[in-house]
Amino acid sequence: MRSLAQSNRRRRLSPFGSSRNRAARAGLLFLAPAVLGVAALVFWPLVQAVWQSMHKTPSGFSSASEFVGFANYIDIVSGNSFFFLIVNSFAWTLFVVVGQNVMGFLFALAFNARWQLSGILRAIIILPWVLPGVVAAVLWRFMYDPQLGLISSVLERLFGPELGRSQFLADTNTALAAVIVAAIWKGFPFAFLIYLAGLQNVDRSQVEAATMDGARFPRIVLSVIIPSMRPVIALTLLLTAIFTFNYFDMIWVMTKGGPLNSTHIFPTFIFQTGFGQFNFEMAAAYGVLAFALLLILLVPYLRHSLKSERDED
Amino acid sequence: MNQRASIQNRVFQVLITATVAMPLVWMLGVALKPSSEPFSSPAQLWPNSITFDNFLSSWRPEFQTYFLNSLIVSFATVTISVLLGLLGAYGLLRSPRKIRWLVYPALLMGQMVPAASIIIPIFAMVRNLGLIDTHLALILAYIALTLPLSTVMNYAFMRSIPKDVIEAATVDGASTFRIFFQIVLPLSVPAVVATGVWLTVVVWQEFLFALAMTTSQSMRTLPVGLNDFIGQYGIRYGELMATSIVMSVPVVILFLFLQRYFVQGLLSGATKG
Repeated sequence: MRSLAQSNRRRRLSPFGSSRNRAARAGLLFLAPAVLGVAALVFWPLVQAVWQSMHKTPSGFSSASEFVGFANYIDIVSGNSFFFLIVNSFAWTLFVVVGQNVMGFLFALAFNARWQLSGILRAIIILPWVLPGVVAAVLWRFMYDPQLGLISSVLERLFGPELGRSQFLADTNTALAAVIVAAIWKGFPFAFLIYLAGLQNVDRSQVEAATMDGARFPRIVLSVIIPSMRPVIALTLLLTAIFTFNYFDMIWVMTKGGPLNSTHIFPTFIFQTGFGQFNFEMAAAYGVLAFALLLILLVPYLRHSLKSERDED
Repeated sequence: MNQRASIQNRVFQVLITATVAMPLVWMLGVALKPSSEPFSSPAQLWPNSITFDNFLSSWRPEFQTYFLNSLIVSFATVTISVLLGLLGAYGLLRSPRKIRWLVYPALLMGQMVPAASIIIPIFAMVRNLGLIDTHLALILAYIALTLPLSTVMNYAFMRSIPKDVIEAATVDGASTFRIFFQIVLPLSVPAVVATGVWLTVVVWQEFLFALAMTTSQSMRTLPVGLNDFIGQYGIRYGELMATSIVMSVPVVILFLFLQRYFVQGLLSGATKG
């Protein structure tokens, strides 16, 4: 009804009065600074990254960079760093996302029922997520310290000194798992908060009906709660995956991508290539590849967000 | 779906919280441990006696410089980004459908562009402008990181203003500018606060750009400074942990203050899909 009235009004005004045009122009005036800013500082750099990635600076100080087409990409794909980057990024993103979401969901189920301390307990439980990334990373680096760290002490008490003295961050077999555990702890409260909010909208009468029918709690979670929260779960998985794929702080502070590249993911490798080896063209190429890979996650995210925008439009 | 917690559930909730918070308790314990008390191995969760010495010595001159740099950069970025985002959100709201459907997806996309994918060109740009190792370099980079998000957040809040209010004013002949200043702006105060706090939390802890674009110690921000401390401090973990805590306190307080808005936003944002 509203849209009909709206379009009538539009039709009435547009042929003669310029007031509508003036309003549209004024709207664009408000929009312009933000659009120009985003274009100049986000999308133009993205275009430039593609351009830079197609150049190469020959060795020698005074030499200018020359156009080489896709040569950098061919180097990357045929070299061995690409393989471990893909494997590490995939494992890192997968395990961190699954860990954060499973933990966030289960904790949300546990915290759904309220009592006097609910507010304060929730404030404490989201602290890891609120903590600056570098602080969490420094803390976990210290947690894994083989002599003084909390983790080694707990393990030593439980399983004896051999496991307790392990250098988790210095061992290529355990370093990636160690940073994944730290990242799960750091980021799970985001999923926790969303799932806690989502649980508010689960239809209580359905849960009660299932309980009357004699369904046990795990059954109710699987057949009633999860299906009705499907859109929330999908969005949370996408968001945490995008954040995790791009997350630099934790790994850089804890391991700098080492030992022997075993914890390098795209952001850390790009930083090292660009600002450690000053190979800007190659770093740009890795950046473009990272963005291209991220599109796998970005496209469904955009579709999801635009769908809800269209519904309200 | 909300019920009162049973006794077992309450105990369970407390146990979970204690487990999650254990690294934080330990961090605080290490920061409060007197330097005379040696680290025992295996480690203790809490020291036998406590002192604030580590907190006092963490407030050293370099740290004050880092703190000031973080304040300057955060304040400038958040002011510019929130202002442009607020104006942009209103522009988006008043734009023809066609333009809205061009700009809005671009903003959502821009918000998700990985920082690592644009750091090389932004570094080159800043270097060509001769701005490396200045506050302005970081402010420009941080506007790139926050402006899409700021616009999208403000827009999401602004859309909850009933359309009838704006339409009625339009029919009464109010100009686009007048509607902004007299109707939209007063209603947007919570949006500006929420966006401002959120962007502050993001910028305060930004590490990647700060690491790449500050070369001298006098330009370092807190996250980079803290990372430098790891090497310099050797095994002075007490001071390292105290510094970490001092640096976290401002954003933790801001966030706890924002939490109400944030959870509301999640409720409306995450459940409409």
